[in-house]
Amino acid sequence: MKKSMKLGALALASALALSVVAVAPSATAATCKKKTEVEMFGTIKKEIREQFLAAAASYNRSQNCYNLKSILGDDSLTFLQNITPKYATKNAPTIMYDLQYIPDMADKVMDWKGTKLMSLASPGLLAAANVGGKQVGIPSTAEAFGLVYNKAVIKEAGIDVTKIKTWKDLEAAFKKVEAVGKKPLHFSAIWWSLGAHFTNMYHTTAGKTHEARLKVLDDLVDGKKDLSKDPAFKNWLATYDLLKKYNQGAVNLTDTEFDASVANLASGDYGFMFQGNWTEPSLNTIAKSTKFGLMNLPMSNDAKGYGNDSIPVGVPGYFMIDKQQSTKEERAGAIDFLTWLYTSPQGQRFVADPVTEGGMGFIPVYKGFKTKPATSMAGDIANFVNAGKTLEWINTYYPGGLQEEVGKVSMQQYFTDKISAAELATAIQNAWKDKPKTWRGEAA
Amino acid sequence: MILLKEEKEVQVISARKIKKFLKFAGIPLVIFTIVLVVPFVNGFYYTFTDWDGFEVTKLVGFENYADSFADPKFWVTLRFTALFVVVSLVLVNVVAFGLALIVTSKLRSRNILRTFFFVPNLIGGVVLGVIWQFIFNSAIVSLANKYDVELFKESWLQDTNKAFWALIIVTVWQSSGYMMIVYITGLVSIENDVLEASQIDGASPLRTLFLIKIPLMAQAFTIALFLTLRSGFMAYDVNVALTDGGPFRTTELISLHIFQDAFLEGDFGTGQSKAVVMFLVVALAALVQVTISKRYEVQR
Repeated sequence: MKKSMKLGALALASALALSVVAVAPSATAATCKKKTEVEMFGTIKKEIREQFLAAAASYNRSQNCYNLKSILGDDSLTFLQNITPKYATKNAPTIMYDLQYIPDMADKVMDWKGTKLMSLASPGLLAAANVGGKQVGIPSTAEAFGLVYNKAVIKEAGIDVTKIKTWKDLEAAFKKVEAVGKKPLHFSAIWWSLGAHFTNMYHTTAGKTHEARLKVLDDLVDGKKDLSKDPAFKNWLATYDLLKKYNQGAVNLTDTEFDASVANLASGDYGFMFQGNWTEPSLNTIAKSTKFGLMNLPMSNDAKGYGNDSIPVGVPGYFMIDKQQSTKEERAGAIDFLTWLYTSPQGQRFVADPVTEGGMGFIPVYKGFKTKPATSMAGDIANFVNAGKTLEWINTYYPGGLQEEVGKVSMQQYFTDKISAAELATAIQNAWKDKPKTWRGEAA
Repeated sequence: MILLKEEKEVQVISARKIKKFLKFAGIPLVIFTIVLVVPFVNGFYYTFTDWDGFEVTKLVGFENYADSFADPKFWVTLRFTALFVVVSLVLVNVVAFGLALIVTSKLRSRNILRTFFFVPNLIGGVVLGVIWQFIFNSAIVSLANKYDVELFKESWLQDTNKAFWALIIVTVWQSSGYMMIVYITGLVSIENDVLEASQIDGASPLRTLFLIKIPLMAQAFTIALFLTLRSGFMAYDVNVALTDGGPFRTTELISLHIFQDAFLEGDFGTGQSKAVVMFLVVALAALVQVTISKRYEVQR
């Protein structure tokens, strides 16, 4: 353990030295005798595979110490399903990217502490990948979810989305959409939207401080929480009912639902949907000239109620670097590549340029970004972030398998009126019981 | 002295036999050991440890088995799987035998039909699942709404019981073509003289079928029943691609349940021990089935 930490520190030191020179490729040209191949698992997201590979190719041309190679996994499997066989065969990739299984990986990857990238990252976005004081990963981008709307429809219905702060406002907006002969809302029953994002709307408003929100998780695990007595939970249920009431999309519990919801909103027949900014590239592929926006989902009838004017902003995944099966050079290369990607002018263009222009369309989460977010939703998110109107992604802390258990079972059952609100509360409580408190440093 | 010589001869023969055996079976045996025996033993060992998918730190005795049996979801999936196995076993074989009778009759189109019935088997389970998901979710639903057919107005994949039948329909559609081939071989292997004799004796086609054909091709039934039994218990790809356990995780077959236990929730110990339990169940069921159906086989 001690030895590996020492090695890690050594790697960090050398990487830091390298990352400084990596900016000027001509300087490094002479310093490397042998090219080191650095393996990265996946391409951050499969939707931006081409753009990521272009960035990697550009990096590989920019210096001759390292060759970054992306190895592809099976998209239909979870990160853990993909990565365990690689560890078992002593073939672990050096760079890994994930969110849900960060606690499982914590003892296998290096500590980012002391690196240039960590010092540049937004401090609030590092917390979710900090396991027991160790910085296990660093963020890729920010994403947000809430109500996604079709700007053309909203304009036609004469709605000012910035004025929507309460259920009443929202209902009035839905009615205005109906008045122009369109359908107000496609509320998707897809399990991950319900299990991770919609449940987060409760968890993120269940407490006003980070600690208070984690305390709710503690109590759920200990079986001490009675959700049906929590006012925030009652509000959340009422919000759920409101969205169900105005939902005009056909109920579909299978994965094909996602494409259907995106197609519906893009078609211009619908005003709103509950989703996130990751839908923007697909929406723009279908409806090229239409713009789409992202806004807050009110959780009560009190215009000043906590979170009513904010959107949950979080990190969809963190970069981790293996320390068990990689060499010192591989780790140095891994850090060098990621540093290049987020700090060099070329790298930043790949990160922040819109997808249609060959970039990955990311929202910058590191200091010193020269490129401005170019898409409509990225601009909306930036506005919320700048105004300090963001909510936490408590779903980042959900134990492995929980969002499936809740999203695929009780949430979909409530969606299709198979169970009552009281049964939903009990089901969520039962799903949490005796889960490991990874947010308190417990082993997954 | 003579005795010794004989012993020597026996030894030479057995050595030669072993050599011959290795020549033919050596490579398959090595592969079998590497890809089956070793992982199996290894997996069996893991059930007694705290394996987390990455490494083993200590032995835990029968804890994983105790946890598995205490998991109510395990029993639910096991029951659901048993039901699936029984229903799919009966339907696949009835349909397959029916198809085999059709394509061995004197129909003109029998060769085309053979290909036609067999093709679904050539489509991979995942592709098949996606196609049928579209059929159940979109195609049937929109047709039903157009022509007002109550039964199909809501997608079958959104109701536990109907989703079960959706799984059965796809499984039957996929595997009956393959089992048909097994039954065809059985049917054509019956010698003509027996059939002619029954004809001369004035047996009706139905009587011929039940008293002559079926008893004489009992072997085909043993094989087909074994194969469907096994594939019923191990069904995975159609389950994942068609229902993915939905709605509400009520259509998870045992393989999917085990896989999710291990890889989704990270409980590798219990996942692995459930797999061992499942192996024992399948082995026992198959053993019983083969023993019973062997009894009906006729030696000529």
